[in-house]
Amino acid sequence: MRLGVLTGGGDCPGLNAVIRGVVRRGVRAHRMDFVGFQDGWRGLLDDMTQPLGIAETTGILPRGGTILGSSGANPYRFEGGPEKVAATLERHEVDGLVVIGGEGTLGAAARLAEDGLKIVGVPKTIDNDIGGTDVTVGFHTAVQVATDAIDRLHSTAESHDRVMLLEVMGRNAGWIAVYAGMAGGADAILIPEQPFDLDECCHHLRRRHASRSSFSIVVVAEGAVPKEGTLELPESLLDENGFPRLGGVANHLAPEIEERTGFQTRVTILGHLQRGGSPVAFDRVLGTRFGIAAADLAVAGGWGRMVARKAQDVRDVPLAEALAGRNLLPPELYHEAEVFFG
Amino acid sequence: MRIGILTGGGDVPGLNACIKAATNRAVGDGHEMVGIRRGWAGLLELDPADPETITTHTLSLSPDVVRTIDRTGGTILHTSRTNPAKVRASDEPDFLKAGRVDDEARDHTPHVLKVLEHLRIDALIPLGGDDTLSFALRLHDEGVPVVAVPKTMDNDVHGTDYCIGFSTAVTRTVIFIHQLRTSAGSHERLAVVEVFGRYSGETSLVSAYLSGMDRAIISEVPFDVEKLATFLMDDKRKNPSRYAMTTISEGAHFVGGEMVMGGTADAYGHRKLGGIGAQTGEALKEITGEGIIYQQIGYLMRSGQPDSLDLMVAINYAVMAADLLLEGTHGRLVALRNGSYVNVPLEVVRQGVKRADVDALYDVDEYRPKIRHVDGKPMFLY
Repeated sequence: MRLGVLTGGGDCPGLNAVIRGVVRRGVRAHRMDFVGFQDGWRGLLDDMTQPLGIAETTGILPRGGTILGSSGANPYRFEGGPEKVAATLERHEVDGLVVIGGEGTLGAAARLAEDGLKIVGVPKTIDNDIGGTDVTVGFHTAVQVATDAIDRLHSTAESHDRVMLLEVMGRNAGWIAVYAGMAGGADAILIPEQPFDLDECCHHLRRRHASRSSFSIVVVAEGAVPKEGTLELPESLLDENGFPRLGGVANHLAPEIEERTGFQTRVTILGHLQRGGSPVAFDRVLGTRFGIAAADLAVAGGWGRMVARKAQDVRDVPLAEALAGRNLLPPELYHEAEVFFG
Repeated sequence: MRIGILTGGGDVPGLNACIKAATNRAVGDGHEMVGIRRGWAGLLELDPADPETITTHTLSLSPDVVRTIDRTGGTILHTSRTNPAKVRASDEPDFLKAGRVDDEARDHTPHVLKVLEHLRIDALIPLGGDDTLSFALRLHDEGVPVVAVPKTMDNDVHGTDYCIGFSTAVTRTVIFIHQLRTSAGSHERLAVVEVFGRYSGETSLVSAYLSGMDRAIISEVPFDVEKLATFLMDDKRKNPSRYAMTTISEGAHFVGGEMVMGGTADAYGHRKLGGIGAQTGEALKEITGEGIIYQQIGYLMRSGQPDSLDLMVAINYAVMAADLLLEGTHGRLVALRNGSYVNVPLEVVRQGVKRADVDALYDVDEYRPKIRHVDGKPMFLY
């Protein structure tokens, strides 16, 4: 059997572990051979390939990013895109395709699978917002980077008696913000699932500063939204997949907090730092297990399905089911984080 | 002897180690160490007639108090940008407001001298950058025994090759640059990494040199963004992973342009810099059509624990400062010159801030570090 592999969407730590897992399992257990498609769906649209075997995947486990490159290109946004993808797969005599991606990349995969292409999906995104699985590849590394940043920012916040806003990624889900916020002991956490009232947040901060502390750390998810009618924020633009372009909300909140509380407020936007670098052990193990499972799923003919983690097990679910709804943070988890606010 | 110690300006990693070492050295010889909280603001806001302000603005330092402080960054004494020689109405404590009708900056040096006398402080060790130390020099001129310790992550204090905080700032930046490489490479983008450094380009230049960045834009040399775009596209073509990266100082500016600033000026006339990286990113995107990663390292450069070089220098500066005061020498700045610990007249801070040595270290045509003929140069290259 000959499998194609691609990684699409934003890069994240652990992608190389998946690639290595698929190849190792495929070659050793199933006598497969592989072709790597470069830069996500673009590699199939423009026929860009690279050799992919044991030699190419040796030593990549601890490396961030993806050896295959990535892009946000979507076959359904190109004239004759799906046909080009099918033709490229045929030209390379590929029996099946392993697609490692987030919502955008796997969304295209699900549609192509419905049209009869042989595809298995692997969920990756630092945002952890894909349905059907408890956790995605890259999430825990992003949480660790954000937690380290919170730990460090404490010293500057305290020395200057300031409020520090740390903006983290997560798109329309608050997973990174709440996990890192709980791990780092944030004094308030603003997330998309729980629209915030800035006055309430400022009340937490004032109470904290009045009683025992002269500084605060507030974690802001990039997709955090104010309660309707409480605060005007500039509208964001849309990216090529039609999602709002996020990032920078903390820059708008800082002057508001400073004005309402009188506390000096500064912003750190963690940005791409939480996507790069070496994956933590959890993501290496998860990526490796997902890779093994993806090779096995292809052999079993599980086309149109996505490998997933449920409790401690790696299973598979229909791609369409996984993409039916986003995995958002359950309210109970936010209420646990709230215990430590203010 | 009763010695006062304080930290002013931005926090940097290593200040707590410095406070600890100075305390242990002085107390070990039977002297007293008093921590003054929030930099010069601690002395300005202290009202000798109000004992409570003494409790809130000072902290008696003993080996027990400082035992564990060196394990964390920041400063246990807290810090401020207050300059008692130029106090605006908004920063003035109520008890000093008498007769105030305008918002003109007023000189409260006489009050500070009175406070030092009231606290029975015989000598001062201020830890700070050129702003904080300019008031230390003023006190020296007024007859207060002072030995100053240079700290700034920008490494821009005259008279010394090294200021506490610089090494950790560069160490962090290098680590973050390498983390960004995977994102830049996976998406084949141009990355613009903006670093703190005020008016000095040294953090940009040295981080770029040590991490092998393609280009470095520094505060001292105005740059042409079209030219930078051409360079980066060329770098990207030559890179097998198809990306290119540049560092940029927060104080950098376009040819013919001004520094990008925001907010209001502090008591030393300085404003918050920043934003040039975002502008450069936008311009590069427009010119090249490439995807851009714009990342500010910002506070992450100077928050958290010190690296071992900052510990080494912070502890040695502290021991030297205490040594000097205990043997009766003052009006000095502890310093590193050509790899040796020395002390120099505090008057050097009158020369303002030090800039990166462009002629020796920077290629103004190619926008990148140019380091040649290292033999015989000091450890930090100039």
